[in-house]
Amino acid sequence: MEQLDTDLRPRVVDSIRTLLPRVLRKEMPEPTEQSRLMEDLGMSSSSTLELMLELEEDLALQIDVEDIDRDDFATVGTLADFVVRHLIPEE
Amino acid sequence: MTALEAVATYLPDHRVPLEELAGELDLTPMQVRLFRRFHKLSDVCRAPGATPLDLLLAAASNLDELPAVRHRVRYVLWARTFPVVVPYPLNPLDTMCRLLGLDRAVAFTVTHHACATGLLAIDVAGRLLAGSPPDSLALVVAGEKAFTYDARVVPETSVFGEGASACLVRHEGPRDRLLAYATNQRGDFDDEVTTDIGRFQEEFQASLMGAVLSAVERAGLALDDIALVLPHNVNIVAWQRLCRRIGYPVDRVLLDNVPLTAHVFCADAFVNYRTARARGLLRPGDRYLVVAAGAGRGATFSAMVFQH
Repeated sequence: MEQLDTDLRPRVVDSIRTLLPRVLRKEMPEPTEQSRLMEDLGMSSSSTLELMLELEEDLALQIDVEDIDRDDFATVGTLADFVVRHLIPEE
Repeated sequence: MTALEAVATYLPDHRVPLEELAGELDLTPMQVRLFRRFHKLSDVCRAPGATPLDLLLAAASNLDELPAVRHRVRYVLWARTFPVVVPYPLNPLDTMCRLLGLDRAVAFTVTHHACATGLLAIDVAGRLLAGSPPDSLALVVAGEKAFTYDARVVPETSVFGEGASACLVRHEGPRDRLLAYATNQRGDFDDEVTTDIGRFQEEFQASLMGAVLSAVERAGLALDDIALVLPHNVNIVAWQRLCRRIGYPVDRVLLDNVPLTAHVFCADAFVNYRTARARGLLRPGDRYLVVAAGAGRGATFSAMVFQH
C-alpha cells in the first residue's frame, strides 16, 4: 500500500505502537509497522475503535472512522496510513 | 401474501443517559466514550417499575385498529429475544390476551432467533394465516425488560432499551406486503458470549450481508430498488460498515432512533417503521428492507423486503 510521506505519519506509528499494549490489555514485544493487528495481536474491530479514541487523545486530533475497512487495520502501518488520510479538520 | 395491517409502538418517556448506566452495565469510561463517539448510542429507554405485561399492553393499546377487529385475531405471537423472561408460572402473554379480549386466539411465544425473532414471528404469522379464514388476523407483539446483565448490554456492541410494539398481520393486504424473507442462522456461535469477538464481528458483517442480499434477490429486486432500510438499532458504526460493503447509501438507513432508544430487543423494526411513517419516508409502492440480527446460543441474521 502507498506510504504517505508526512510529518504526522511517524508520530501516528509511534503512538499506535505505544498504545497497543494498553488497548489490548496485555504485555507484548514492541510491535513493528508490519505487525498484523488482527492475526498477530488479536485486535477486534471494537478494539480498533478504542485505539482510535486513544490516538485522538494522544495526538490531539480527530479521526473520521466512517470509511474504515478491514484492510485498513491489517497492520500498524496500514492503520497509520488510514489515520493520516482521515483526519477531521479542526473547526 | 403476508401484509402488515397496522403497527403501533410504546416507548417510555424515561430516557437514561448512557453515563448513568455505566455502573450497572459495568462499562469503563473508555467504553462509554466509544459507545457515544462511534456507536452513536446516547440515551436508553427505560420503564422503571413496568412489567413485561405493562410494556406489551401499552403497545397493544396504541393499536387503534385492534378493538374493532379483535374478534378476527386468530393468533397472538410474542416475539422475544430471550427464551425466559418471567418466572414460572407467570404468563404475561396469556394475561394480555385476557385483558384485550383475545381469549379465543391461539397465543404463543416465538424465540431462538434472538433479536431477529420479530421477523420470524411475522413469517410464522403469515404461514398460519395462509391456512385460516380469509379475514383472520394475527397480532405480533414484542417487548422485553432489560432485567439481567445479558439483557442490558451486548459487550462492545450495544445497549438494550425497553419498549414494545404491536403489529396486526393479515394473509393478504393492500400495503406493506411481504415480498421476501431470508434468514441466516449460525449455529457455530453457540456460546452465550463468544470468546473470539474479532471473528464474530467479521462473521457478523458477512452473515448479515448474506441475509440482506438473499432477501433482495428473492424479491426479484436489486439493492438500488430499495428505497429505505429499517435496521436494528444496535449501533451506527456497524451499519456504516455494512453499507460500504454492500454498496448501499447509509443515509437511506433509518438510524435516527439509535441515540434515542438504544436497541429495543425485537421491537426495533416496528419502532423504526413508525418513525418512517411519521416522517413520510415511505411512499406508496416503495420497496423497503427490514433487517435484524441477534446472538446468544447461536446467531441469526434476517432480512425482509416489503412493499409499502
